[in-house]
Amino acid sequence: MLSGVDYLVVIVYLIGIMLLGLYFRKFIHSSKDYFLAGRALPFWAIGMSIVVSDIGAQDFVGVSGQAYRYGIAVGNFDWIGSVPAMLLAAFIFIPYFWKAGLYTIPEYLGRRYNDYVRTLASVTWIIFFAFNLGIIFWASAKLLNTLMGWPYWQSIIITAVVVGVYTFCGGLTAVVLTDVIQMVIMFVGGAVIVVLGLYRVGGWDGLVDKITAQGISFSDYFELIQPANTKTPFPWTGILFGLTFVMANAYMIGNQAIVQRCLAAKSEWHAKASMLWGAFLKMFIPVLVLFPGLIAIALYPDLKDGDNAFPLLVKELLPPGWGLVGLMFAALLAGLMSSIDSMLNSTATLWTKDIYEKYIRKDASDRHYLIVGRLATIVLLIFGVITSPISQYFEGIYIAIQTFLSFFQGPVFSVLMLGIFWRRTTQWGGLFGLLGGITVSALLYAFKGYLFEIEDPFLYVSWWSFLAGLIIATVVSLFTQPHPEERLYGLVYRLAERKQNLA
Amino acid sequence: MLKAIRYILNFEWLAGVSTGAAKNVFLVLFVLIGILVLLIPNDYIFQGVKKRKWWLNLKLWALGDLAFIFITYYIF
Repeated sequence: MLSGVDYLVVIVYLIGIMLLGLYFRKFIHSSKDYFLAGRALPFWAIGMSIVVSDIGAQDFVGVSGQAYRYGIAVGNFDWIGSVPAMLLAAFIFIPYFWKAGLYTIPEYLGRRYNDYVRTLASVTWIIFFAFNLGIIFWASAKLLNTLMGWPYWQSIIITAVVVGVYTFCGGLTAVVLTDVIQMVIMFVGGAVIVVLGLYRVGGWDGLVDKITAQGISFSDYFELIQPANTKTPFPWTGILFGLTFVMANAYMIGNQAIVQRCLAAKSEWHAKASMLWGAFLKMFIPVLVLFPGLIAIALYPDLKDGDNAFPLLVKELLPPGWGLVGLMFAALLAGLMSSIDSMLNSTATLWTKDIYEKYIRKDASDRHYLIVGRLATIVLLIFGVITSPISQYFEGIYIAIQTFLSFFQGPVFSVLMLGIFWRRTTQWGGLFGLLGGITVSALLYAFKGYLFEIEDPFLYVSWWSFLAGLIIATVVSLFTQPHPEERLYGLVYRLAERKQNLA
Repeated sequence: MLKAIRYILNFEWLAGVSTGAAKNVFLVLFVLIGILVLLIPNDYIFQGVKKRKWWLNLKLWALGDLAFIFITYYIF
């Protein structure tokens, strides 16, 4: 339970973040300011925002729970599952998206392929974000309930109100710049628990000794590379093919919540640099979210649910009366709020630019679209709150999110990759590749009990659905009419430059 | 038929690869990415920069990231 000084820390944090967010309201004069922060953001703020948006309170709980069950192999998601993809994004995709002046990734797909592809991708992301909001809300409620005994609905509504106010008022500027503060708080809070935990178990050597002494089944807890026939969800084949080649790229390149920040950079260099800076910061995340799970194995080896590991450490390790529990609590709230604000703003952008402006009201004033974006933020928030209880049907929160992601990510990345690297890809190739890939995803997932051997095959599903999308798009493209080359300038990698060189 | 599909989908055809060899695959991948980064033209790297300075060279940033992750995978 929180003491008086802890409550003070949390209240100061909440009020500070809300005031900071509200301060940026005065910079919002147009829809471009609201959705793209007026394209004036520096690389350091974007990089920090990418990291903190990607890592939320649910990761403290979910990843430490996974680490408790499977060891450090779960760290692959933040190391090889981020760095190569962020490099590819920085040097190939982001510069093209930025130069094209895009608001959304589906907008690129619309220009490169056609409006069907754009709409399908946009609707897919809107649905995913909307339900993911519910998952994140539920994860936080579970955490607050374990830590403080707060009723689930009370936690969800308090979080929703705080985030809703500053995201509604300050748009992407408020989201990114509050994320900077959130990241610092999250890193400091996370580091406190890791340092105290390592001290308790006797440092790194003590941690390794205590875990490996627990039996043969713990011998591979410090191996990032797991055998292909492992029963965990992280065989090296899945990590390489599913995570490194597909899901990581799809997440860092095709995820609106991540890429939208880079589109708001003040120059092309800042857009590229933001991804590289973010990749550097991302490599420290496993220390914060994975180590607590390992420390919990050493201290409490008999937990029934790994997701309880982190809340238990907070209760047991942090001394009361120093404000450290409050700081940790603020760090968790920071992770939670930064994820929610990103999804709210990105989904509002997708809805306003790809659906409303395209199909519902085409030639309205800019102020009209600004109001629509703000209203969409509120509607989504309410939807996320209402749907949050469904996530309790999944065993592990982190796996639940990855499962939803794997459904769509592979096919979307297949058409993005073909779109930027192969000028011969046609509009129908893109559309059928996307539809076919999603269908394969759904079928594989529906029959996963018959087809796959590992516990949760989301990495394999993403790889095979990506491959299906790639093959279908290629075959259909070869039999359909390509776009005129001039239309593809600025949308296909170095096409214009190659043409100039030939001339 | 189902057995053949499972054999392919579950990557059983790679089951004979040891984790040591798999680790080398990951390490080689990082080196390859580093080489590709070095091949990017400097003009492209510095797009949007008013005055070129060595610390603004994003190739160095990328190589730093790769060095960090290479060491992590080498150790674990």
